[in-house]
Amino acid sequence: MEVLKVDSISKNFGGVQAVKDYSMIQNDNIITGIIGPNGAGKTTIFNLISGVQQLSSGKVFFNGNNITKNSSFERTRMGISRTFQNIRLFNNLNVIDNLKVAYGFKTEYNFWQQMINSGKVRRVEKEVHEFAMSYLTDFGLEKYKNYKPDSLAYGLRRRLEFARALIVNPKLVLLDEPAAGLNPQEIHDLIDLISRIQEEQKLSIILVEHHMELVMKICTRIHVLDFGQKIAEGKPEEIRKNEKVLQAYLGDEV
Amino acid sequence: MMFYARVLEITLLYTIFVIWIYPLTGLTGLFSLGQGAFIVLGAYTAAISYLKFGFNPVIAIIFAVLLGIAVGALIGLPTLRLRKDYFLLITFGFSEMMRGLLLWTAQLTGGAMGIAGIPKYVRLPTISISVLVILLFMSNLKKTRFGKNCIAIKDDELAASAIGINVFSHKMKVFMLSAAVSAYAGALYAFNIMFIEPNLFNWIESAKLIIIVFVGGLNSLTGAFLTSVIYYTFGEVFRFANVWRDVILGFIVILVILFREKGLFGNWEFSITKIFRFLIHRLPTSKEGK
Repeated sequence: MEVLKVDSISKNFGGVQAVKDYSMIQNDNIITGIIGPNGAGKTTIFNLISGVQQLSSGKVFFNGNNITKNSSFERTRMGISRTFQNIRLFNNLNVIDNLKVAYGFKTEYNFWQQMINSGKVRRVEKEVHEFAMSYLTDFGLEKYKNYKPDSLAYGLRRRLEFARALIVNPKLVLLDEPAAGLNPQEIHDLIDLISRIQEEQKLSIILVEHHMELVMKICTRIHVLDFGQKIAEGKPEEIRKNEKVLQAYLGDEV
Repeated sequence: MMFYARVLEITLLYTIFVIWIYPLTGLTGLFSLGQGAFIVLGAYTAAISYLKFGFNPVIAIIFAVLLGIAVGALIGLPTLRLRKDYFLLITFGFSEMMRGLLLWTAQLTGGAMGIAGIPKYVRLPTISISVLVILLFMSNLKKTRFGKNCIAIKDDELAASAIGINVFSHKMKVFMLSAAVSAYAGALYAFNIMFIEPNLFNWIESAKLIIIVFVGGLNSLTGAFLTSVIYYTFGEVFRFANVWRDVILGFIVILVILFREKGLFGNWEFSITKIFRFLIHRLPTSKEGK
């Protein structure tokens, strides 16, 4: 089933064309990788899909609905979660609260009930707490629940951000360089984690990554970008042999 | 005795102002130099509707709050989508505008002469109950999801909206509530001090409220409350020290910012449940001791 359809989107920053006529169709229950040299527009595409930046032209459809005009938080509520290239956690909230605020929009009490801290609020909050704890345990972070994120090791922070993106049970997850800054062992664990969770929740994942081993291992389809344009698309083994891709990465004289 | 009751009244009045700067600056990370203007707005609305239009004081105070909310919405709608530094400048402009407006509509407001002869309807009990109720509401909001969302917005607006928080609506709610409570406190002020004038709360006073929140600790409501109580009591009791009073206070502020970056109280929060738990924890051992 088609989850996301991106219809020839473009983005200009002043005179610079960061993304040009990019289209993609993402089905459910698969992992797609987007690769390309630095500055190819990979993160910009994520920003356009998640609504962090407004696109210059084109359309984005999610579950058949046109979401081009929807803002970032509305798209998240519909079921598009994301992580960031430079980890963006809330450092004034402790680890478990980072998950709880992400789950927040699924709870059903209003502002005034919170003001008087009514019984309903306390009951729901208790459930949310237990649910968040089960998530932390699942991600091996339960020891750190009362730590502030900036006191955690880099790999754990990545994992927490991943957990935060998943706790709302999204349909589509955008992972922006999940392996950046991790050591080989941590990358190995990450590959296991992503594949396990993808299988369990039948998630649709799009990831941007420079680590080729990870991309080739877990992605079912790969898109290659260069200068904001898609230059190739296909299965990992096809991409490996594609001449245009080799040119973009290694130069003309290959 | 009268003197101390008086000091307590004034201290608690100012504390209401500080408690509602706290959600704005401490939780959401918005700097507003216009809170003083909302206080003045509340004070004038209450005083004028009582003296010129003969409304009951309770209704006068309700008017003040409603007008505070309306003006808060009017200022918030176009400005809260802007970057935080622009928001600061606009609230500064609003504060100066309010002062100018009060001076120029002298027939209604008495201009630079202010309004005198407001009866004293609000005394210590009303103020104390107001402080308690407002403190309770605020601490509930901080504990529950709303407060945590606000902290998330302060830390990283982009990430907050990426996890589904409606950033604008949160900022609007905080700003309007803070305008409402400031106007309410302003109305109490008018009925307690009995005299108001346009320069009552200029932007320097608003800045002072923000500084108190910073010294108390951005993450601690208890800190904001206690620091404000100490600051204003200190101010009144040490009035004899004259100019030196401000020098000492300024020095303390510099020391705190330099050596305790997170404020005097850091992340610490007063909690009755924690105290209960602590006592229950201690109880068996004390019984065994007997």
